[in-house]
Amino acid sequence: MTDTTQAFASAPAGHYRFKHVARSEALKVLTLRSTAITLVVTVAAALLVTGLVANANLHHGAGYYFGFDPTQTSLVGLIPAALTGGVFGALLITGEYASGTIRGTLAAAPRRTMLLVAKVAVTATAMAVFSEMLTFAAFFLGQAVLSGGGAPSASLGSPGALRAVLMTGAFIALLALMSFGFGLIFRSTAGAIASFVGIVFVLPLVMRGISEPDLRYVPTQILTNSVMSTVSLGPGGVVKPLSPTVGLLLMVLYAAVSLVVGATLFVKRDA
Amino acid sequence: MITAHSLTKRYGATPAVDNLTFEVPAGLVTGFLGPNGSGKSTTMRMIMGLDVPDSGSALIGGRVFRELPWPLREVGGLLDAKAFHPARTARNHLRWLALTNDIPMRRVDEVLDEVGLSSVANKRAGKFSLGMSQRLGIAAALLGDPAVLLFDEPVNGLDPEGIRWVRNFLRRLAAEGRTVFVSSHLISEMSLTADRLVVIGRGRLIAETSVADFVARSGRGAVKLVTPDRAGFASALAAAGATLEDGEAGSLTVEGLTAPQIGDIAARDGLRVYELTPVAVSLEDAFMELTQDEVEYRPSSMAGAVGAGVTE
Ligand SMILES: Nc1ncnc2c1ncn2[C@@H]1O[C@H](COP(=O)(O)OP(=O)(O)OP(=O)(O)O)[C@@H](O)[C@H]1O
Ligand SMILES: [Mg+2]
Repeated sequence: MTDTTQAFASAPAGHYRFKHVARSEALKVLTLRSTAITLVVTVAAALLVTGLVANANLHHGAGYYFGFDPTQTSLVGLIPAALTGGVFGALLITGEYASGTIRGTLAAAPRRTMLLVAKVAVTATAMAVFSEMLTFAAFFLGQAVLSGGGAPSASLGSPGALRAVLMTGAFIALLALMSFGFGLIFRSTAGAIASFVGIVFVLPLVMRGISEPDLRYVPTQILTNSVMSTVSLGPGGVVKPLSPTVGLLLMVLYAAVSLVVGATLFVKRDA
Repeated sequence: MITAHSLTKRYGATPAVDNLTFEVPAGLVTGFLGPNGSGKSTTMRMIMGLDVPDSGSALIGGRVFRELPWPLREVGGLLDAKAFHPARTARNHLRWLALTNDIPMRRVDEVLDEVGLSSVANKRAGKFSLGMSQRLGIAAALLGDPAVLLFDEPVNGLDPEGIRWVRNFLRRLAAEGRTVFVSSHLISEMSLTADRLVVIGRGRLIAETSVADFVARSGRGAVKLVTPDRAGFASALAAAGATLEDGEAGSLTVEGLTAPQIGDIAARDGLRVYELTPVAVSLEDAFMELTQDEVEYRPSSMAGAVGAGVTE
């Protein structure tokens, strides 16, 4: 028999920390097949739609371009990216529940608050970097199509353009975080994605028929009418959209509520 | 060492684990035995901090799991063989686990080698057979070289070779001085693997004992009797309060009397005895007997025998 003087239990001093868990979570994101798939689908869809939208805005009469917003025109193609980003955000947590990985994760890093902060930090960073890059790419593509076709176009130096681009990227990342929160709450992919799609894409359709003014508070409306827009819509009975800053802060609030509810359940619930 | 103290967990009204107290010492394989639904997995989840007990505590080396400084380096658990993302490779699954506890990456290849998965390290784990999945789960448990190991039904679904491999593996881990706690609902398997047994039924402790004691303490032993004077024995034994059953190959099985008592009766009544052998109660019988009132989903007599069980 071997010498049993605990040759095994040779743990270093201290204890596991946020950085260890965050590194682990980052590796998880990078080694998921769904990451690559989401990436490719999102980029392809976003740039395709951006090109199509910009192209559809070429060769119109002068009247058409009254109040025309080239920045917004180049960014609306990112709406599909908001959808895939949301699905991706939910999958990062529901995938763990579906596969049972969550138990391994919790057995390795049982401090749940720390674990969750690391997960959210990694998700937020990954989504922010990715959606900012995508937003800039869409902006440049859209402007290239517009100016190439002789339509009015913008540059990053145009009033509000840089702000709109940066905020759009951030907004998409926040949508993914809100969806991550739904994932924590429902622990099932179907439940999380259904509620995300319901709130972000179906709710506006329903509300359109019920209460026009309240539509301003719906994420997709904030995104297109407040965050992406650089030209304030004229008067004439139209409900004035929220300012970009207020809109973005509201989205921060939505994501925070979803995450806090999800986190509260996550910390308490049996895994 | 694992210590459970008055561990209790309810799902709804019925307790899944009911006031369970036991110890799992280092250097031995302790089998955790109980019928289906008796609360083995629930107990293991509570030890690993996944489920919170309603009352009582489960400690590892005196500490609650959630407070361990380096959980993977202290406790290795295999609770569910398929608990990995099917799209990740075996190596990547172990790499993210290693990162959480700052375990050197060379350990990943070491444990893959140890469980014999080196050649499929870069294959997606979702494609693994059950046996390979179990091995990957064991590799994950070994990653941090922990002193305490928990395995929930590690041989479930394995072929004989796989079962033997797991058995030898568990024995080796215990021989190295580790605490090995392994659940099963198969007593025959546990009799080969375990040194000690913690037996539960419907969430309650039935026995905490060595394998040998478990058999010795459980119920009456039977005695095999071969005799040409069957009728004579039938009446004499019945009068003495024993029961007589036809056994294999013309032999009789007597319950309720010891071999010397039967011998005395034979001498007294002049009955011929060709063979008289105490039959060791098989582990299965012992297990069935102890747990028969504790099996879920079966109407049970309300016998109080179990409450007064053989707990040490
Ligand atoms: N999450 C849960 N919610 C509700 N009931 C549960 C839950 N987990 C376990 N139970 C119940 O608790 C009891 C004990 O279950 P457990 O899985 O711990 O038993 P087990 O001994 O591991 O059984 P098996 O040998 O079948 O694996 C069962 O009656 C089961 O139905
Ligand atoms: Mg079980």
